[in-house]
Amino acid sequence: MNRIIISIVILGVMSVCCFMSVGYVDSFTDMLCDKINEVEKAFEEQDKERSSKAAEELLNEWNDFLDMAILVNDLGHSLEITSSIAEVYSFAQEQNEELYAACDRAQAQIKMFRDMQTPTLWKIL
Amino acid sequence: MAIVLIRAVILYIVITFSLRLMGKRQLGELQPSELVVTILISNIAAIPVEDSSVPMIMGIVPILTLVCLDVIMSGIMLKSAKVRKLMIGSPRIIISEGDILQKEMKRLRYTVDDLTEAMREQQIFDITQIHYAIVETTGKINFLLKKDYQPAEKQDVQAGGSTDNPPSVIIRDGITDNEQLRLLGLGEQWLTKILRENNVGIKGVFLMTADRNGNHTIVKKAG
Repeated sequence: MNRIIISIVILGVMSVCCFMSVGYVDSFTDMLCDKINEVEKAFEEQDKERSSKAAEELLNEWNDFLDMAILVNDLGHSLEITSSIAEVYSFAQEQNEELYAACDRAQAQIKMFRDMQTPTLWKIL
Repeated sequence: MAIVLIRAVILYIVITFSLRLMGKRQLGELQPSELVVTILISNIAAIPVEDSSVPMIMGIVPILTLVCLDVIMSGIMLKSAKVRKLMIGSPRIIISEGDILQKEMKRLRYTVDDLTEAMREQQIFDITQIHYAIVETTGKINFLLKKDYQPAEKQDVQAGGSTDNPPSVIIRDGITDNEQLRLLGLGEQWLTKILRENNVGIKGVFLMTADRNGNHTIVKKAG
């Protein structure tokens, strides 16, 4: 009987953690996309300080997230996001026009990352 | 390389814990579902060890899920005969009162060779000696011989003797098993006395067995 109780507890905890991680990734990627929009907006308004600060925050947030890579089920894809966010940071510092392309790329990759974590019937099958 | 080593150690712990959670069945006695889980565990565990880009958790979560589901299912099967029958089936008779039930054998996809092989494994070489043959849910075939061919039991030959007092190990490699000593109803004083009579200390004993009556065997350490 003890084994059954332990199994139910483990299964319950794992289910809660797995589904909570989906919610966490969802809200976290939304926040990252908002940050990228903020970088773009500040760049458009030629507010160098604000765009650099937002880009730095974006980079820090992503690096903090990677420390919890336990939630990431595709390390290859997360490395691509790391490189795109690093580009956003670098172009924001330089106030380079390439920033727009880098922001679009990073946003597309982050959205794809979020989609990959969401358990839809298509992905399950 | 260190990552691979650490991952292998963690997976070893997880798998050992998982198999412990599954219980103590022998490999040959695994039910089909348990066999599937065991094979799946070995395959899943290999992935994060081989490929360091796959997070460990991708191996641990499915392993624990499979094991937990297996334990929960076995718990449900324990309570419900219907679920048990659905999951593991029921034993099937393939020889009844000496007659081979060919239809049943065909249904179970058992050939005559399977039957004769199982007979030989149990030292039966003549099919006419068999009264009943039952295919268990594990796939093993058990036989009941006709009365004339069944081995004689003690009560048939009215032999005496008792086997309800088997000897237990009470000292192994110089270490006393106090729990066994207590179960046998023999105290430490008895043990000290016996060892003194045999001129040996506990550390000098390689193996000592005893039964409830105090009958004992001592094997001293060599050298």
